[in-house]
This record gives sequence, structure tokens and C-alpha cells, in this order.
Amino acid sequence: MPANPAMPANPSMTVPDDECESTVAVIDDDPDIREALRGLLRSVGLRAELFASVQEFLGTVRPDRPGCLILDVRLPGRSGLDLQEQLAQANIRRPVIFISGHADVPMSVRAMKAGAVEFLTKPVRDQDLLDAIQVAITKDRARRDEERTLARLRADFDTLTPRERAVMMLVVAGRLNKQIAAELGLSEATVKVHRGHAMRKMHVQSVAELVRIADKLVSSQARS
Amino acid sequence: MTKPDRRRRFDFPAIAGYAVAVGSVGAALGVSRWLDVHAVTAPVSLFLCAVMFSAWFGGFGPGLLATSLSILAFKYYYAMPLHSLAADVKEIPRILVLALSALFAGLLSAAQRRATGSFRRARDDLAQTVQALERSNQALRAENVERVRAEEALRNAQADLARVARLTTMGELAASIAHEVNQPLMAVVTNADTCLRWLAKDPPDLDETREAAERIVSAGHRAADIIRTIRTLARKSATEVTRFDVNSAISEVLALTSGELRRYDVLLETQLSAGLEPVSGDRGQIQQVILNLTVNAIEAMTAGRHTPRVLRVSSQMAGRNNVLIAVADTGTGLDPTTVDGIFDAFFTTKPDGMGMGLSICRSIVEAHGGRLWASSNSPRGSIFQFTVPAAASEALNARESRNASESLNDSAG
Repeated sequence: MPANPAMPANPSMTVPDDECESTVAVIDDDPDIREALRGLLRSVGLRAELFASVQEFLGTVRPDRPGCLILDVRLPGRSGLDLQEQLAQANIRRPVIFISGHADVPMSVRAMKAGAVEFLTKPVRDQDLLDAIQVAITKDRARRDEERTLARLRADFDTLTPRERAVMMLVVAGRLNKQIAAELGLSEATVKVHRGHAMRKMHVQSVAELVRIADKLVSSQARS
Repeated sequence: MTKPDRRRRFDFPAIAGYAVAVGSVGAALGVSRWLDVHAVTAPVSLFLCAVMFSAWFGGFGPGLLATSLSILAFKYYYAMPLHSLAADVKEIPRILVLALSALFAGLLSAAQRRATGSFRRARDDLAQTVQALERSNQALRAENVERVRAEEALRNAQADLARVARLTTMGELAASIAHEVNQPLMAVVTNADTCLRWLAKDPPDLDETREAAERIVSAGHRAADIIRTIRTLARKSATEVTRFDVNSAISEVLALTSGELRRYDVLLETQLSAGLEPVSGDRGQIQQVILNLTVNAIEAMTAGRHTPRVLRVSSQMAGRNNVLIAVADTGTGLDPTTVDGIFDAFFTTKPDGMGMGLSICRSIVEAHGGRLWASSNSPRGSIFQFTVPAAASEALNARESRNASESLNDSAG
């Protein structure tokens, strides 16, 4: 999803990602392959975290870490595909790149449906992998930006008084001030004051923007 | 052949015997008349000779005829009154004596003839028996050659069968084995790409390049090890007895099956004792046994839904002279009603199994002078374990080891 166009290209929004450099988590039970991938990633300036098993990853992972995952499909303990579903359940949204010794079509279809960025077959072409990582990191960054925006919007929304919220929801539903006043049993002037406060607190200039924000908040709430 | 001819001489028609009797008495008479004419007293014994000859030639009948003729001739020519068959009373004792002696001589002669005949017959029978014995001896010898050839054919067939079983097992593992070769290959390719990237930088980072190259070398060696194991198991060759370390043999087989373990989510536990004596035997064959037991264990665990799936492979000394290798699983376990037959040829519980695996395993282990047996694992599953005599103990018992290697050749595979 593209970044929120209503949100100005605020440089402060990208600061946390720069502070916390993107890392690539490699989960493969083969130490040679783990080391080889670490080497390759280092040669293009990427940081890698190595895990021998899914359990190890789940035990040490920091969900808020920016970056992506490289997963061997046939991991001991739990298969990579199962892990993908588990990550979704645990609300870990890092994009996943699968590598597999012998990918069959159903396996790759399942992975891509579950949101994998790429499904690569061993031995992997380095450029394919690095491209996939680039896509994944970009995707992750966009997602994180959006999440942060959403978090900010939610925080803004939380500063509204209950009355301001009620007025705002009716405004975005397309009601006129008069209608809102009648519905809430207020004077039209009071509705105008609440409406002005809500727009200022939500940092918007127009009703159209307010509608868009309200949509985002509602759909994100429905998602979670 | 001369023997039937010699026999035929005694098979003259009986009439010949009588003719000889008449002839010989005639001859005796002729000779005695001739002697008479020349004034020499004719000896009566000539007639006895004729009787003896007739009895010897023709038997009792002709002997009796010759006796009668002799008495008649004697009476006619030599007893009073001469030239008459009538007998003077005084001559009767002479005639009687002649008759008795002739009869006696004839009887003896005939008896001797019979004895000679039966002796000859016995000798002929013996010759025949000897001949029959010789023939059956030859047949036995031919049979023996045939048996040796059949044994060799059996040995070859067993070796072929063992190899087929090995290749079948490896065929079942093909996907996993391919994965095992692919892993180091992936490492090699990725490290080589990394190498090129460090070299392409300006200036090239030689330290990083060297590190990546070292990783290429180690991954390459790892791939070579795996391929060597595959080749050992797939090769067709005669039994090759060497001294080897059981633990490294086990590790190689487990490296080959690690893809399979991963595929079926099986946890591997190994307990390889550090203080093992080396064993002497065919390394490839022992690896075949370990491979077979391992694959069986995995199949037993994937057949059911039991978890966790744990494969435990261990090695230890059993006493001072034997190395004990055990493969334990947490699978479906042994069926007590069929457990006695699991090592028999063509016994299988798998829908598409050949039923040769365990039978071949047991013959390999026994050919090495060891023992293979199965028992139940606790709380679930089964344990297959086998012993192989340590090389040192074999050296002490040179004779046993020779026997072992001989029977090893018998069931080479």
C-alpha cells in the first residue's frame, strides 16, 4: 500500500528506520548456508541475523525490527510455510523470502498466497536474492511508515473529547451541522466549535482529509 | 569287452557236455587200446581222466554219462570174459571199484566246476558292482561341480540382490540425497558470488574475498564427502575387508539421511561413544545395514501420527570384543505376532516393500561374525541393534576371523 498521501513527506517519520538499520533474518538449519548468506549480505552492506531453527527465531525475535526474513522451506521442527502463518498470527509482518532446495508448484503457490515476497530455488542467484531483499525491505519500510502514520492518527484521535469524536463521526458520515446539532441535542454554534477542535487536533484542513483519516482508522480497527 | 566272452564258454548247450563225455571216454578207450596193442598194460586211470574231464567240462550229467560209458568200455575190453558185456562174478569187485572211483572223481570234478563257476560269477558281479560304483562316483563328482557352480551363482545373486536393495533404498532417498548435495552447492555458489562482489570493489577487499574462498573450499569438501558416500553405497564390487571407525561410517550415513529427517520432521539424537575399537569388515556393507535400519526407523515413525519423532543412533563397546550399534525410533513399534518373522526374506509390512532389507542386513551382520536383533523401545517404537567384532579381538582369533571372512564372501553384497 502506498504511503498516506495526506501525510506530508515528513523526514522525522523515517528517522527510526535509519537509527535502527534494516536487518535480514536468515533462518536455515545449514550452518554453511547461513554463513554464506551472511557473507553475501555483508558484501552489499546489509546486516544479517542468523537462526538455526524457527524456535530459535521465535525465541529471540524483536517484532518491531525493520527488515525481512529469508526462510528455508524445509526447516526442522516446523516447516517454513507453517512459520509464515505463525508470524502472521503473532503479528510479525516482516516480509518473507523463501528459499527451497526443491520447490514444487503447490508449495510456492501457497507461499505466495500467504504473502511471500519471492520464492527462490537453491542454489540461489545472488542478484535475484538481493533484488528480492531490496523489494522486501522497501515493502517493510512502507508498511512501517504506514503503521506509524496510523499510530499517530490514532494518538491524535485519542486526544479528542467524546463529544468531539461524536461530532467528527457524524461529519465524516456526511451530515450537516444543523443535522448534527439536532441529533446530539446541541446548538449549531457548539457543533461548529467541536468540529473546529476536532479538525485542528487531527491536523487536517478539509473535510475530505478528515473522511480519509476516519476511513483509515475504521479499517485498521476492523483489521485488528 | 572280454568278460561276456569268457562267460559264454560256460554257457554251451548241455548237449555239448554230453558230446564231450562221449568223446573223452572214446579217446581214453582209443589210447588204452593202442597201449594194449603195444603190450603195455592199459592204465584204468585214463577212464578216470575222461570222467573227470567230462564232469569238469559239462557238470554232473556228462560226468555220469562218461562214468557209465567208461564202465561199459572197461567191461567190454578189460574184464573177463573179454569182448562181452556179460560180467564174470570174479570181475565184479574190479568193475565196482572202477565205478565208485569214477563216480567219486566225477562228483569232485563237478563240484569243483560248480565252485569255479560261482567264483567266476561272484567275480563278475563284483566287477559289475565296481563299475556301477565308478559310474555313480563320476555322477557325484559332476554333481559336486554343479553344486559349486550353483553356490557361486547363488552368491552372485545374493550380491546382486543386496545391491538392488541398496539402490532401492537410495532411490527412495533420492530427493533427500539430492537436497544434501544441493546444500553445499548453494553455499559454494553464494560464496563465489560474494567473492566476485568483494573483488569488484575499488579497491578489492582481499580479506573478505579470502574468507569467502575458504568457505567455498569447505563447502566443496562437504559435497565431495557426500558424493563419496553415495558412490560407496552404489558401487558394485566384491567384498572389501578393511579396518574402519564405526562412528565415521555412521556419521556419513546420517549425513545422507539428514534431508529425509528434515523432510519428515524427525529429531535426530546421536550418542556415539568416543572410545570405540576399530572394527574390521566391509565398510560399505556395514553402512548399508545402518542406512537400512535408519530408513526403516523413519518409515516406522512417518507411518503413524505419533509425535515427537525421535531417531536415536548410538554406538558403544559391548564387552571388550564387540562394537554395538543401535538404531531406536518412536514409531509404530513391533507387532508381537509377527516379530519372529521380521528377518525372513520377503517379510514386509510396507505396502510396496520388497521384504529383503532386514534379511540382507542380518546376513551381512552374521557374515561379519556379529548379531542383529530387534526389541521394543520405551514408551513406544522399536530398537534394532547389531554387533560387529572389534578388529583387535579378531586378530586374537585368527581362525574365527578367517571363517567370518569366508562366510562374508558367501553372502557378499
